Amino acid sequence: MSTPGHDMPELSGDDLLAAEYAMGLLEGEDLLAVRGRMAREPAFAGLVAQWEPRLAPLLDEPARAAPSPEVWSRIAGELEERDEAPSPVVLLQRRVAVWQRIAAGSAVAAVAAVALLFVPLGNTPAPDPATDAPPLVASIPIADTPLRIGVTFLPEREELLVAADGLTADGVHDHELWLMPPGEGAQPQSLGVVAPGTQERVSLDPSLAGAMRQGAQILLSQEPLGGAPDKSAPGPVVAQGTLAKT
Amino acid sequence: MTPASPERREQLKAAMLRLSKGDRDALEVVYRLTSVKLFGICLRILGDRKEAEDALQDVYITLWRNAARYDAKRASPIAWLATFARNRAVDRLRTGKVRRGAVPVEAAAELPDGDPSADDLLIDAERAARVHACLDTLDEPQRGAIRTAFLEGRTYAELAEHNNVPLGTMKSWIRRGLLKLRTCMEGGE
Repeated sequence: MSTPGHDMPELSGDDLLAAEYAMGLLEGEDLLAVRGRMAREPAFAGLVAQWEPRLAPLLDEPARAAPSPEVWSRIAGELEERDEAPSPVVLLQRRVAVWQRIAAGSAVAAVAAVALLFVPLGNTPAPDPATDAPPLVASIPIADTPLRIGVTFLPEREELLVAADGLTADGVHDHELWLMPPGEGAQPQSLGVVAPGTQERVSLDPSLAGAMRQGAQILLSQEPLGGAPDKSAPGPVVAQGTLAKT
Repeated sequence: MTPASPERREQLKAAMLRLSKGDRDALEVVYRLTSVKLFGICLRILGDRKEAEDALQDVYITLWRNAARYDAKRASPIAWLATFARNRAVDRLRTGKVRRGAVPVEAAAELPDGDPSADDLLIDAERAARVHACLDTLDEPQRGAIRTAFLEGRTYAELAEHNNVPLGTMKSWIRRGLLKLRTCMEGGE
């Protein structure tokens, strides 16, 4: 097969990365790195948000197909079973301004927020390449902002990477991360207060590290300055994510 | 192609607005209006009815759970939903649990007569025409690679193998194609 025009210009730089991300072409470490940037850089998220609608019309092409009628029953059943209202996070988003809006221009913030709607959850900073065991990551979207807190757990080091850069403190509250292990009757365990505007590496207690597993929920609560006074009970949960392998 | 029905578009918009306010009945309306299109998209990517049905279930459950984050003023709910479904299906593919089968498109395309969901909800017609016109300006290997990558969720490596070209060549095709596509689309944006 002939290769047309070797000297033709190619898309490059961040716009290329954004397009590759929107196309779903990235894998492995590249994907992880870009997800981290999506979480931290509104301008980059904005580039992805421009690619999504450019590509969306292609989705008119696949032949329509009727799913079996059971699919709707399963969906209705699943909602019924858990008696699900929209998640508490969603409800709280309407009432609670969790974080101060970032200083980024509102137009950029708006497109970035749009982009997030398209992004699969799981945006985190890239893990330390020195670790062999697969990291677990949780991405915690912050209400009404293009921001996420990225939580990455490195099993071999029993370390937690918490990326809260881009956030600013409101001076009235602190926010605290909690681990909610899967299963009935599990108690939330504090992972510590989030330091806004930083990327931190936190060593975990071995017992706590042992409880960091796939499917566990990571909660973000709003607390008085200094963190929750009672370490067995988080304050209002304002955001959450789920730990998963990347 | 059937012209997009303005009425169905309005119905979907209204249902998405109710959904974003936590109205559970609205989810069923959204499902009735969109599941045939979204299932087609998932099926094209996953190539297996059961996998695609699981993906579809996941799409609507996730939609419900995150409904409040949907911006109801968005111009084209169907474009948003189609992209959302496509991305969730590709995620499923990438987790490695899905064994991709041959794509039984013909078998899946049969719809019961008189099914109201058989009406097409097309993505923003003006932009659709533009993107197709822009794709037509690309040379064939580039155009085919971009369409396959997007509609079937293929990686560079899979595309290179399928087309029997080196990985670097495939990357070049797509990167050139994307640049041309962007330039062409910007001309009309």
